[in-house]
Amino acid sequence: MIKTVEFFIYPGHGNIISIQVIKEQNDMALVTYSGVRESKPGRVNDLGTTGREVSEEFKKGCLKRADRSFAQGLQCQQINSMAALMSLEDSVFISHSPQGCVGCAIMAVDMYRVGQIHRGVREVKNPRLIVTNIDQKSVVFGGEKKLREAVQKAVERYSPKLAFVYASCASGIIGDDIDAICSDLQAEYPETLIIPIHCEGFKSKICASGFDAAFIAINKYILKNKKIEKEDGLINLFAPTTVSYADQKEMERMLGLLGAKVNYIPFYSSLEKIKKIPAAVASTSICKVFADEFMKTLWEEYDIPYSHTVMPIGIRNTDKWYRGIAAVIGKEKEVEEIIAREHERIEPLVKKIRDRLAGKRVFICGGTGRSFAAAALIDDFGMELVGLETPTYDEDAQVDIEYLNDIHKEFVVDIANMQPFEQVNLVKKLKPDAFIGVPEWAAKLGVPTTHVLDGKRPTMGYDGLLFLGNKIADQLENPGFNKKLAEHVKLPYKESWYSEDAFKYIIKGVD
Amino acid sequence: MSAVMENPKGGCVLAGINSVLGAINRVCPIYHSGPGCCMQTTAADQGQSGHKTSCFVSSVSIPSSNMLEKEVVFGGTNKLRTTIRGAIDIIDADAYFVLTGCTAGIIGDDIASVTNEFAEKGVPIYPIETPGFTGDSNLGYETVWNTFLDKVIESGVPKDEKLVNIFGIIPYHDPFWSGTLEEIDRILSKLGLKVNTFFTKGQGIETIRKCSAAALNIIVSPWLFKGPAAKFEKKFGVPSLRIPGLFVGATDTTRFVRSVAEALRLDKEFVERVIAEEEQYVYNYLGQAIGVLSWKRFAVVADANNAVGFTRYLANDYSFTPVLVIVSEPVFRDEDKERIIKEISELEYARPPKVLFLTDQYEINKAIREEEQEITLLIGSSNDREIALEKDIQFILGSFPMSERLIFNRTYAGYRGSLTFTEDIYDNN
Repeated sequence: MIKTVEFFIYPGHGNIISIQVIKEQNDMALVTYSGVRESKPGRVNDLGTTGREVSEEFKKGCLKRADRSFAQGLQCQQINSMAALMSLEDSVFISHSPQGCVGCAIMAVDMYRVGQIHRGVREVKNPRLIVTNIDQKSVVFGGEKKLREAVQKAVERYSPKLAFVYASCASGIIGDDIDAICSDLQAEYPETLIIPIHCEGFKSKICASGFDAAFIAINKYILKNKKIEKEDGLINLFAPTTVSYADQKEMERMLGLLGAKVNYIPFYSSLEKIKKIPAAVASTSICKVFADEFMKTLWEEYDIPYSHTVMPIGIRNTDKWYRGIAAVIGKEKEVEEIIAREHERIEPLVKKIRDRLAGKRVFICGGTGRSFAAAALIDDFGMELVGLETPTYDEDAQVDIEYLNDIHKEFVVDIANMQPFEQVNLVKKLKPDAFIGVPEWAAKLGVPTTHVLDGKRPTMGYDGLLFLGNKIADQLENPGFNKKLAEHVKLPYKESWYSEDAFKYIIKGVD
Repeated sequence: MSAVMENPKGGCVLAGINSVLGAINRVCPIYHSGPGCCMQTTAADQGQSGHKTSCFVSSVSIPSSNMLEKEVVFGGTNKLRTTIRGAIDIIDADAYFVLTGCTAGIIGDDIASVTNEFAEKGVPIYPIETPGFTGDSNLGYETVWNTFLDKVIESGVPKDEKLVNIFGIIPYHDPFWSGTLEEIDRILSKLGLKVNTFFTKGQGIETIRKCSAAALNIIVSPWLFKGPAAKFEKKFGVPSLRIPGLFVGATDTTRFVRSVAEALRLDKEFVERVIAEEEQYVYNYLGQAIGVLSWKRFAVVADANNAVGFTRYLANDYSFTPVLVIVSEPVFRDEDKERIIKEISELEYARPPKVLFLTDQYEINKAIREEEQEITLLIGSSNDREIALEKDIQFILGSFPMSERLIFNRTYAGYRGSLTFTEDIYDNN
């Protein structure tokens, strides 16, 4: 597919902001996207490099797929497929799997419960999650009977509008045809929309594939390529479960200032709100990797333009995110006025934080969206990047890395989905003043830690920035807990590991 | 045979195995499984049990072969081999256990042969060939002990007549496990015994290797550990004493102390002195807050162990009125169900409550919703809060899964734990 990327230049800001208002230029038949993120050319998951090296290699087209001959556990895509939808109203979530595969559902369950409390709900409900509990018998004879029983229970108990059926490694390998079974059950239970989701864990190493699997199913079974009447000023705002209510309100406030109405989906939404997706005049997402593929589909199939930029964390990224969506709905002028106003309000406060943080050396680890957002954020505070760990490298990452290369000196890049053994090796060698990310391991090395992922408290937009900045500054100023912890608690690695090459187990040329 | 279940409590076999290995100091599990199993199994138990996770390796720190399509099609033993090699190279563990996920189990990878290549070189590494789909966390607890009995525990260890092994409390599956084991340890140590809890005091694989020296296995559970206990006696000659439920409060803890003392023929007078001292400790406090807790008609939703403990304490020691007790873990054998019902029903003065065995959340909610007798207090898990809010009754988060509180060493068990339990029930509203 050929697309043009339009660059908008804003005088007075000194930099080119690459906002993609994507315009399809040909009408060739599109290849249906499988939902497996590895299928996109140029995307790698296993790499140890530096900011400059990776940017050069990518430009030359020299990045090759690799693998780790030794690795620690990953997140599977099924976790994300479930988390993406588990706060939908009037829905039942059926995991066609052994009982263990709903372990991680607790994260989404917890966010759903806490989300209700934050929204003032008194009678907090559980999501309706049913596991078919595939067992030895199912492995031999197939799991169809159990799946039928689960769907029957879902319908009889709750008469839901939606029943999502999630595949698993086990259901995939034993060959249960969940599409056929669901289609059969659909005829039996016409009042409930029964939607199979192909999120078998073994299909992808990139857990964000699970978001795509969920959205592909939503498109196929709910939206069905039907065009509906447009609603003036309606914007689809895609948000994953990890976005706090405070952040939702801030995003809605910001879009409201542009005169937009927000369809906040799919977190905490409903079948009605999902059905409204095609009525929107534009789409954007809070998380960079959450709905990027789906927004592309919405453009291709429903003519909904979209903005795909960054996560709105930090001044630079919030501006960029804000301008992105404003450009799509033709509010370039208005957004500049608002941004100027917000800056006037925010900048003196940010300066106070900058005075406390400038020059601190930082190591960042996070998911694709958050890690790059955090890297931009530290620039707002004048901090220096020494290491970055992020799950995948692709053309999106390249844009971010080029930006970071302009600001920072050399920094290490570890393309890894967690892999704490590499992280601690790097952190111990680089000796950063601060670590931003999951604190568990760096804390045990005594490094001050802080996090930008808190789905229960504010992190985004202009207001979130202040909360985050003060949090980072306070936590770095007072590192006693981690220092004392490190004296008492040891990480599980041999001392010899810390003197080895952190990337020793990455084997290039292996797919 | 596993049932279709709404909001299941706990994970698969792998989760149970992982919980046990995670609680043993310096032991490293290695997963031969799909990419998400490390996180899923850790989240299923450790992630819902008061927010403690294994200090050594857990979740995404666990070495894993992360089997993808290629391994599903061509087999994953090569990937497993390099994963084990890496784990041994970098992780400073005293023992390694190779676990089988559903993927490896279904395609039939021979993990024992690969593991053996390393064992032959003297690496303390053991395979556990029980894939996730074969059952739940409870079965995982028994599976890992069966593996220890077959492959790890040594024979010919000199007997120690003061040494006892504690079984039945599943780490990270019972949110109060560490506090409970510490309270049991405290009480038994006071009787002059040496206690293997296996999961506290930094006990590690060496404790497990030598646990055949024990004079007695004490199983604190009305039903778990039947198979491993029989194997233990047959292979190592260690007899078992089953305590038919967790003891909460003076009455049942004293009953526990007396049965251990009897089994080990401890000096009666000495034991009674310890009992008197402990009971006095409890009643010194209870005596200072009389009438502070309002009278309750209560229901319990918990695993069998805690269901027995909570019900008997509140009914026998605190004179609350039991109405409904739901055992919310799968219990299969009739003899086990009968033992559980007996413990919950044979109360000192109180009329016995209704006892139900339900694992499905819809059915649990329905039973509480439709209970004709009034309930004014519900002790249950995070999943059971919804029905308590719906019925507007006081709710105590006291059983697994537990997400809304952080638990380090808190327990409701034993003499001292019962005071904590009573403190938590206090409600000024």
